[in-house]
Amino acid sequence: MFRRILIANRGEIALRIIRTCREMGVEPVAVYSEVDRKSLHVRMAHSAVALGGSTPRESYLDAAKVIAAAKASGAEAIHPGYGFLSERAYFARAVVEAGLVWIGPPADAIETMGDKIIARRTMQAAGVPVVPGLVDPIEDVERAVADAERIGFPIMLKASAGGGGKGIRIVRNAKDLPGAFRTASGEAQAAFGDGRMYIERYLDEPRHIEVQLLFDKHGNGVHYGERECSIQRRHQKLIEEAPSVVIDDALRLRIGEIAVRAGAAVGYQNAGTVEFLYSKGEVFFLEMNTRLQVEHPVTEMVYGVDLVREQLRVAAGEKLGYTQAEVLARKRGWSMEVRINAEDPFNGFVPSTGVIGNLRAPGGPWVRLDAALYRGMEVSLNYDPMLAKLIVWGPDRTAAIERMKRALAELNVGGVRTSAPAALTVLEDERFVRGDFDTHFLSTVDLAAPRGGEDDLVAASAAIYRHLLARRRALVTGASTRAAWSARSRARHSAYPPHVPAPSTPSAAKELPR
Amino acid sequence: MKYFVTVNGRAREVDLVERLGRIEVSVDGRKLDLSYEEVDNLGQVALLEGGRSWGVSIEGDEHTVTCSIAGRLYAVEIEDERERAAHAAEREASKGGGVVKSIMPGVVVKLLVKEGDVVEKGQSLLVLEAMKMQNEIGAPGPGVVKSLHVKEKEAVSSGAKLVTLAAPPA
Repeated sequence: MFRRILIANRGEIALRIIRTCREMGVEPVAVYSEVDRKSLHVRMAHSAVALGGSTPRESYLDAAKVIAAAKASGAEAIHPGYGFLSERAYFARAVVEAGLVWIGPPADAIETMGDKIIARRTMQAAGVPVVPGLVDPIEDVERAVADAERIGFPIMLKASAGGGGKGIRIVRNAKDLPGAFRTASGEAQAAFGDGRMYIERYLDEPRHIEVQLLFDKHGNGVHYGERECSIQRRHQKLIEEAPSVVIDDALRLRIGEIAVRAGAAVGYQNAGTVEFLYSKGEVFFLEMNTRLQVEHPVTEMVYGVDLVREQLRVAAGEKLGYTQAEVLARKRGWSMEVRINAEDPFNGFVPSTGVIGNLRAPGGPWVRLDAALYRGMEVSLNYDPMLAKLIVWGPDRTAAIERMKRALAELNVGGVRTSAPAALTVLEDERFVRGDFDTHFLSTVDLAAPRGGEDDLVAASAAIYRHLLARRRALVTGASTRAAWSARSRARHSAYPPHVPAPSTPSAAKELPR
Repeated sequence: MKYFVTVNGRAREVDLVERLGRIEVSVDGRKLDLSYEEVDNLGQVALLEGGRSWGVSIEGDEHTVTCSIAGRLYAVEIEDERERAAHAAEREASKGGGVVKSIMPGVVVKLLVKEGDVVEKGQSLLVLEAMKMQNEIGAPGPGVVKSLHVKEKEAVSSGAKLVTLAAPPA
């Protein structure tokens, strides 16, 4: 096992990895940008290296700086977390060339799966089912119209180099296609420097099902069952769960086997996730995420596994040491995760910024809060809006839902608006409770509608709050208030008593004439 | 002391009387048996209403307050009698026009109107980008663009003035 590893990330995932490192006796090294000097991931690490700069580009995305930090700190390996450099093949390659161990898949596998078109071709060749659509990306609108007619509406436009929901459009008829194509292509060009789009059939009642994979360096691979991530908005997930209500034991074995085959086809190593679209009993390969997923904790809860520990073990060259059957035998109960994002669900989910105050974390049995939150933390636009992940486990789905509702009621993140109330609304929705939903679910729920029903109590509390606030302000004249300003001015210019300079010491005060 | 409190869009009248250090509250004429104890200076409040207990989080300034009870968020606006009269007069003076402010920090990508343009309710005024997402900011009501407070590529903070609309031509 490694003695020391560097974590090329920030926020909750850096802390998540640090925690496992501590438990394994591995020394975690943090890196940080200027603005993250006081972050929790820095404070919890064994050592920390400054990257300088405040934007991601100048810090966490600067491959040379990160590798130099690893060398300087004496780390033997680099864990990339998710986001930032985690899915950049050039970075994986540079890490290995620098004589360090890359805690992730081989660079070639990242490259193959990172290009949606090459990935699709490779998967088709390996016998993995894919969504009907174009194999090649296209640039011009006329061809898009012709090809879309052939594939059949509704269709989805997707940026060739896309990710994170950017450059994606759904088009329901030919009339809307040219406009949608131009804006999506423009967005992709701006975001990724590649305006090529690819077109595919848009499936009805689709559910987003993904399979967790783990491969060692000796050709052994297993899957850890599925996660259901259909509760998403603009392709950003809000609630995830494991297992899924639509996957029975037989289907789990089948999609697991397909996922392992997909990983094996690219010579996969370490942890990865194969995403599928599920539509009426059929599954289609969507893409593979060649890293640890944000929602990996739900799998950990159900299978009793620490996936980060497994990542470190296999990266260090250890064998998996267990069979597929042994993994599936560990499956137990139900787990759910809610992402707590700094966004305002009452204002169309616009990003919310501010300073975290008034923080109350949930607790109790089978409740896990993966976060790097602290009072005084500044939430800016520089980084991902995800503040925390709230994860619960229960013996069955109903128990997990009730536990999540209970934990969300306990949670309070003040200083910014968060998506948490929206998640509560989903958890109370009858269709969600029945398991009857698809990826369009969130667009059918009015998340902005006020709920709660304690309006009188709130009105009374708010009035008292203001009353007490006003009283405090009247007692304490802060430096910035108008009252203090005029008080100072009055003191300086009034004729009686005569203005005297403020005494510097209490003893000096005694000698002044009264 | 009388406050006009709007909770999630619905107005309420709150009467607040301080008697011998105790605060007595009634909402829309109904007296509440309320005990309000601040836990810290950060906004945690231990609230009892006739024996029922609530862990309340509350934060904000004199006019805009965010209240959270059992995971539910309540957006609250408070006016006292004097402020209420002033705001009513202000609304009357602008007659449907007004200032469009940014609800989030971001960068102005594109201005879609110019000064003097007549706009309809909901018509896009400009495109604001935040977190790599582009959002069109619409007119809150019909009007004439009186002035533009921002330029393209300009970064704006939350609450910054974007566009001032005047009353629509009769």
